Amino acid sequence: MQKLKLVELTGKGKRTRIKIGDITLGEDFVVIAGPCGVESEEQTLKTAEAVKAGGGMMFRGGAFKPRTSPYDFQGLGLEGLRILEKAKHNTGLPIVTEVIDPRDVSWVCEFADILQIGARNMQNYSLLKEVGKAEKPVLLKRGMYSTLKEWLNCAEYILAEGNPDVVLCERGIRTFETYTRNTLDLSMVPAIKELTHLPIVVDPSHGTGKLSLIEKMSLAAVAAGADGLLLEVHVNPCEAKSDADQQLNPEQFASLMQKLLKLNQFIQDKIFKSSITGGDMQ
Amino acid sequence: MKLKDIRQNIDLIDSKILKLLNDRMEQGLLANKLKDKIEDLQREKEVLEAVRNNANTLTESKFSEELFKTILRFSKELQTKDLIITGFQGEHGAYSEEAVRSYNKNYVTIPCTTFNEVFEGVNSGIYDYGIVPVENTLGGMVGPVNELLINTELNIVGAIDMPIHHCLLMVPGTDHRDIREVYSHSQALAQCRRFLSRNKLTPVPYFDTAGAANMLAEKQPRGAACIAGKLAAELYNLEILKENIEDLNSNRTRFLLLSRHKPEEDGSKCTITFSTEHKAGTLFSVLELFASSGINLTRIESIPNEPGDYSFFLDFDGSIKDPKVIETLEKAEKQTSGFKVLGCYNEKIIEG
Repeated sequence: MQKLKLVELTGKGKRTRIKIGDITLGEDFVVIAGPCGVESEEQTLKTAEAVKAGGGMMFRGGAFKPRTSPYDFQGLGLEGLRILEKAKHNTGLPIVTEVIDPRDVSWVCEFADILQIGARNMQNYSLLKEVGKAEKPVLLKRGMYSTLKEWLNCAEYILAEGNPDVVLCERGIRTFETYTRNTLDLSMVPAIKELTHLPIVVDPSHGTGKLSLIEKMSLAAVAAGADGLLLEVHVNPCEAKSDADQQLNPEQFASLMQKLLKLNQFIQDKIFKSSITGGDMQ
Repeated sequence: MKLKDIRQNIDLIDSKILKLLNDRMEQGLLANKLKDKIEDLQREKEVLEAVRNNANTLTESKFSEELFKTILRFSKELQTKDLIITGFQGEHGAYSEEAVRSYNKNYVTIPCTTFNEVFEGVNSGIYDYGIVPVENTLGGMVGPVNELLINTELNIVGAIDMPIHHCLLMVPGTDHRDIREVYSHSQALAQCRRFLSRNKLTPVPYFDTAGAANMLAEKQPRGAACIAGKLAAELYNLEILKENIEDLNSNRTRFLLLSRHKPEEDGSKCTITFSTEHKAGTLFSVLELFASSGINLTRIESIPNEPGDYSFFLDFDGSIKDPKVIETLEKAEKQTSGFKVLGCYNEKIIEG
């Protein structure tokens, strides 16, 4: 691809590794889980405990929510960030949270370990430039109408401002299919791996929008070689103020985690090792 | 003007009234230290007379008099309680006040303008105790306090080693995006320098951290926040935008508790002060006494008296009753001038 100077995988094959606490994104298999939105202190802290107990490695939750309708729940703002800080204090899980306004970038950095740029803001260039100057890693979601090339150009914006720590996130795109909320484009995982040195995680919660499909698509993402997953978990999904149909409850999350870790272990041990040693899979 | 705005004004006035009432009760407690007995009918008559003559348009004299009779009754009730009064430098909400509260939450804290006022207040018997900061891990020695300690007749009866966690405070409801200037004591601003620069905030020095919080709450300047402790946020009804904004989390201050009397029980830590002759090796030979007795020194500080003449502070681990300590101090006294044991006390270390 043309003019992708910074995100492109070079001949040396050196891949980006991002160290956050004890976890290295791009090396360890990372599950980032939490509610769509920070709705209250109780809901958030309970969900964080459930994520920790279920084996999640990072905690996500939106304090600033970009919503389709201006009348929908817009998030708790700064108060939400303080609740996330408390969740981190209680569980030790690093925090991933979305920033939607360039004026908030420095403030969100004070509370978050990873800044998330949501699908709706993927091509918000002033926001990309601002997070490009930040000293925190950025999780860049794919826009719902964006091609791979457009997506990578947005990552290029962030790197060009001097922030090398970008994680891409496939979260599904709009197609003519209406059964699912979006069409989860898992072919992006190996495509990103062959074109760029950046880690990629997959968000099957938005990618399908259907609780019944999340488990299988999560496993498929691991099989495709994703560096991690972004999962929506809510301590009580039916009471959620947003994305009520696609948030796992704590039991579903814990059960899925077990399967994900098993599959990941199997792939690491049996498939990648065997490709080096000559193969014992036959 | 909407009902909501008016009610906001009323809330602000109420909180000011309560603060003033608190100040008045404090003064009552101080007066009690100098009166022969709690009730002084002549004085009460004067107070009520002044209140009657000071009636404003709406507050009729009958109302004011009733109100002040209630105030006087409660003030006298407080005075019967034998509350323990501790003077501290700064305004309510200062870190020194936090230190007193973490030492003993039942002590009543009275603000003083200067460190000197704290020392004099304890000396004169108006305060039972005084609390002063002596050193900070980032800022170093608190010079003015150490100078006062050399010449004081007061005893050190306790110490508190406390973490200092700064908070960014704002008037509730302020949009964090509008904040441009941050008021605080220059030390606090310096300890949060990186935080301020990351968020493109301009530091504005103020005489006191809690004073800045008080000013922010009262004047509500546009686009302003302040740096102070959690206690200040509580007292002045400010919103904590962010906790722990100090650049290094090893920010700690050591406070000393002073009294006219010696502590009731001996502690495990001592402070002494002395001067030595201006000659090679004199300080060394004093320190050698401690080294050869195996006494661990925890602080050495020198304060210039006049050119070429220094006083020294020595803090060490040990009890004044320990024969080894007694012997060492006897020898040290012979080699020095102005030798004084400021106190043998216990130190409370607050983690976090």
